[in-house]
Amino acid sequence: MKKLIQALCEARGISGCESAVRGVIERELAGFCRLRTDPLGNLIAEKDGQPARKRIVFFAHMDEVGMLVTRITEEGLLRFSPIGIDPAVLTGRRVRVGKEDLPGVIGAKAVHHLEEEEKKRAPKAEALFIDIGAETREQAQAHVSPGDPVTFDDPYCGMLGDGYVASRALDNRLGCAQLVTLLKSDCPFAFTGVFTCGEESSLFGAAAAANTTAPEIAVVLETTTAGDIDGAPADQIVCALGKGPVVSFADRGTLFDRELFAIAFETARENGLPVQTKEGIFGGNEGRVVNRAGSGAQVCAVSVPCRYLHSASVVAKWSDIEASARLIRLLAERFAAL
Amino acid sequence: MKDLLQALCALPIVSGDEPAFRAEMTALLAPLGEVSFLPSGTALCRLPAESDRLPVVLLEAHLDRVGLMVTRVSEKGFVHAAAVGGVDPRTLAAARVTIHSKAGAVPGVVCAVPPHLSNGDGALQKTSDVAIDIGMTAERAKELVVCGDRVTLDGAFAALLGGRIVSPALDDRAGCAAVIGAARMLENCKTAQIVVALSVQEETGGGGAVTAANAVAPDFCFASDVTFGETPDSDPNDVLKMGGGPAIGVSPCLDRRLGDALAAAAEANGIPYQWEIMAGRTGTDADPISCAGRGVRTALVSIPERYMHTASEVACLADIENTARLIALTIGGGLL
Repeated sequence: MKKLIQALCEARGISGCESAVRGVIERELAGFCRLRTDPLGNLIAEKDGQPARKRIVFFAHMDEVGMLVTRITEEGLLRFSPIGIDPAVLTGRRVRVGKEDLPGVIGAKAVHHLEEEEKKRAPKAEALFIDIGAETREQAQAHVSPGDPVTFDDPYCGMLGDGYVASRALDNRLGCAQLVTLLKSDCPFAFTGVFTCGEESSLFGAAAAANTTAPEIAVVLETTTAGDIDGAPADQIVCALGKGPVVSFADRGTLFDRELFAIAFETARENGLPVQTKEGIFGGNEGRVVNRAGSGAQVCAVSVPCRYLHSASVVAKWSDIEASARLIRLLAERFAAL
Repeated sequence: MKDLLQALCALPIVSGDEPAFRAEMTALLAPLGEVSFLPSGTALCRLPAESDRLPVVLLEAHLDRVGLMVTRVSEKGFVHAAAVGGVDPRTLAAARVTIHSKAGAVPGVVCAVPPHLSNGDGALQKTSDVAIDIGMTAERAKELVVCGDRVTLDGAFAALLGGRIVSPALDDRAGCAAVIGAARMLENCKTAQIVVALSVQEETGGGGAVTAANAVAPDFCFASDVTFGETPDSDPNDVLKMGGGPAIGVSPCLDRRLGDALAAAAEANGIPYQWEIMAGRTGTDADPISCAGRGVRTALVSIPERYMHTASEVACLADIENTARLIALTIGGGLL
């Protein structure tokens, strides 16, 4: 699974530009299930097996956070618009731009020239620009166009400390890896896996794919923010690394199905797996569109807890990733019997 | 020049940690001349001279770069560090860093505050207390890391379009490369005795440059540092043109005749150059050098750089090459 996660993280793809990630998944799954790509770019994988009592669909989004080039200035610098990123993690980052994966730098004037007030707050994204080294608009235009995608450039680090991993794209290549693993598993039941587009922008992929696949039980495989850092008040930690997969009862977009929530905790306990929930109503995921598509579905979310979500350096723990994989595999059978 | 610059940028030398890199500096400088070190770690390299009656010319740049240093390990295992020099606070959240411990390089990520814990007002964390996630328990972290261990901001040495280079260490490895490059061109110099000084602790206001000048007692000094390259959000009066050539400093503490000699050499050899006018201090090692000992006639030749004190400093390779050439031609051409 480590190799798979690395391959998925090294593929680049912001919302609407998921083809490289889809390619990695298609290669992984060839021969294991029936694959088709829908008009929006969602990859739908049908796994054959004994029919489940209800139609079960697993969702994992393929896109990562990033930016779109909006304008090229006279000086050859690129103005951009972030997709899913807190501007506080942008300044000074290395990025890759456009079809050529051109290296660039997110810049602003030197720290020495800031007013005292400016030194206290992160600049807004509108105040920043990407420098690819071009001196003129014409020089930049030879390589980049408005609308080109931009991703962080920080290298994948599979060995952070004692059993941690850092990458810009763990959200949500971890979910993709979980779903690939499940589709390749010996699960005896039939189910559908959907690798979706556009979660970090407007959730457009999941909305359409939920209509197409009409789940009765939908399981969202995701990452979620852990607040277990120094200085966080105890009531704001929400979830922590090393305590297992996070099964949500509610977030800011979805009231998750209480039966599935209870089964997930029971299954983890019975099998000696760590499990936790989000202690607080924060964040959101594709559950919010999946549970209102078609006739609606019972929705459950299983997430890997991550620090520094939506930055160039998301950190997760291997033990959580492994425990999530085991829990998801067990839930696929439990939910098939419902 | 690019290889020299890359080799220099690869050294994780944060202010105060220079003495740990004597072997690397010796290997780098020994082909040029006799290498020695001052007690605080400043490297000196004296080129073989035609005559000891020739004027002594010091070529100076600072070896250190900004970074952080470990102050404590928290109960949860986060390593806390404080800025060494003026690290740009806007760039720290979720930045990759490396802690240089006795046991080796320890990778880490600077903690970023998740959205539900910030008020969304973008308030930056203080650079005096930066928490670093190294993925370890406090017990394990304390085995590896000790107070004072230096921390560098990660960032590969890479090329951008237009001959531009990006690296976290260009301030002032670009200047180091320029003075070493100039010294290479001045082997067998018949007009001066050349001494190269790569001095310590510029970023923390330490005494690297002044002690180098005291020890060498030069007649002239050419100091090379980076200066501010233009960006659309900066005051045009404060910045220089990227790719516009070496910036020849004009300041009350700098020697006008040397500045004019540099400009004349640039004109005579078709080297692009620009003037950098500073009404007060230059904010570089040229300030303390100019008043060291009985005083040193000092010139400052700067390299325009964008995003100073971040992990992504950008400069033009041509500006660095031209700085080396310009210094060498000015000295070698007998324009002193």
